[in-house]
Amino acid sequence: MILNDRKFLVLAAMSVMFLALAAAFAFNLWGRTPPASPIPLADPKFVDTSPSRVAIAEFIRKGGDPSDYDCDICHEKNKPIKIKFDAENNIILPKEHADIALSHGSHKRNNNCYNCHDEMNLSLLQTRDGKQLKLVDSTPLCGSCHGPTYRDWEAGVHGRTSGFWNRDMGEYSRLGCPSCHNPHSPKFPGREPAPGPHALHPVAKAPAHNEAERNHE
Amino acid sequence: MTSNSPCSSGGCAGGGNGNGGMNRRSFLRTSGVLASGIAALAASLAPLRDLTDYTSAEQFMQKHYKELSKDDMEKVLDRITREVEKQYSIRPHVKDYKPMDGVEFVYCLNLTRCIGCRKCVHACVAENNQSRDPEIQYIRVLKMPHGSFDMEKGDHNYASPTVPEKGFFYMPVQCQQCKNPPCVKVCPVKATWQEADGITVIDYDWCIGCRYCEAACPYFARRFNWTKPSIPKDRINPEMSYLGNRPRKQGVMEKCHFCIQRTRAGKYPACLEVCPAGARKFGNILDPNSEVSYIMRNKKVFVQLKEELGTSPRFFYYFDV
Repeated sequence: MILNDRKFLVLAAMSVMFLALAAAFAFNLWGRTPPASPIPLADPKFVDTSPSRVAIAEFIRKGGDPSDYDCDICHEKNKPIKIKFDAENNIILPKEHADIALSHGSHKRNNNCYNCHDEMNLSLLQTRDGKQLKLVDSTPLCGSCHGPTYRDWEAGVHGRTSGFWNRDMGEYSRLGCPSCHNPHSPKFPGREPAPGPHALHPVAKAPAHNEAERNHE
Repeated sequence: MTSNSPCSSGGCAGGGNGNGGMNRRSFLRTSGVLASGIAALAASLAPLRDLTDYTSAEQFMQKHYKELSKDDMEKVLDRITREVEKQYSIRPHVKDYKPMDGVEFVYCLNLTRCIGCRKCVHACVAENNQSRDPEIQYIRVLKMPHGSFDMEKGDHNYASPTVPEKGFFYMPVQCQQCKNPPCVKVCPVKATWQEADGITVIDYDWCIGCRYCEAACPYFARRFNWTKPSIPKDRINPEMSYLGNRPRKQGVMEKCHFCIQRTRAGKYPACLEVCPAGARKFGNILDPNSEVSYIMRNKKVFVQLKEELGTSPRFFYYFDV
């Protein structure tokens, strides 16, 4: 009888122990800390590989209406328009061209339309050495001032090269200057950064560079 | 003394009451306790059910990557295809891409051009089937104040409304594909090694999850799957490689592998294809006409990150001017 009771006690104790264990697992008593909050999926715009802007050549190739770029609708050929400047030597754009923000270079010397556009035929561009180029072939014109950058671009090193690094295995493509830079204000505009790393658990934040930015988070 | 008792060996349940067997009451009591005990044991082992997510018998019996014959590899790829199809209801194209002859990959990153938009981070996550919640990111972008290369001053949690910010530059850091990789040296099971084209790879089926490599890496380039990876079915990239972007399981390491499934098929990696600033350049350093060779010859290639450690990265940072 003594032996039987001991067995019973041991079995009962083990059952209680295992039940407690099962309950502990079920209610995650010491288990993983649940993540702080669900992580939203990244916006597909952040994985979009299309270039920063649509160049005119690309716009026409994709079937866009090129009549906006037909200067002869308003301007007459061979009759150059006089460009007006204010007292501080800033260009005064007519209201028809109010959408252009001309800030090409930090100085004010590049404020003349005819530095790039052909004054006799506004549908064309002209280089400083008098060569005429179509609007869609502007890259050599940019290169006439930005020599080292143009050299890099020709080597495939300035701007993105897409497709195949191994030219034997497939095609590659290059972008022209206006696919990334607005010719009238070539500096990259600021853009929203994609979300940064997410901590697995809430962690103490690293010291910030400035408080305002940290508060923004 | 009980030497003449039949129960002396302790083998009979109702022993000691002189009946030579078990009575009804003790039988019920014993079987009741036993049944509840077994049920409790089963319930306490419930977490083990998740084990089926870890390893199949086929995977457990699989040989090391370098010992797999062509036939073995076909079977392995078939198993992975089945597993992915079962889990994500999508039929993937899993291949085992081999290094090409005469190719050594090098990555060059233009610090003058990087604007810190972090698009590369997310293109990488999408291409390489990283877990989304928790989100594993191979690339960290450090925001650093101008005039310093003190990594301690780098901030990778920046969340300004727009980038780039005045007075800062941005330095993306990912696996540097070292020529002398400390992570490979510490792996106790040889689950990670350097391939002929310079990519350090991980066999996710061989990794035991000890995280020695994570500790050894001076670039914090390796990530551990602490939890079961979760990827929405519609975000799976079906173009997969064995050593690259096939879905991982809980408890294994992963890291940037230069998009093996793209680069060994001749394409540029995903982080390069998405860069809006053209700051990322990739290619074969053994080809004198490649873009990376041009950069090495003509640019101010100034830093291999932490070069004093002698890891000799294949990832180079350079400036334009």
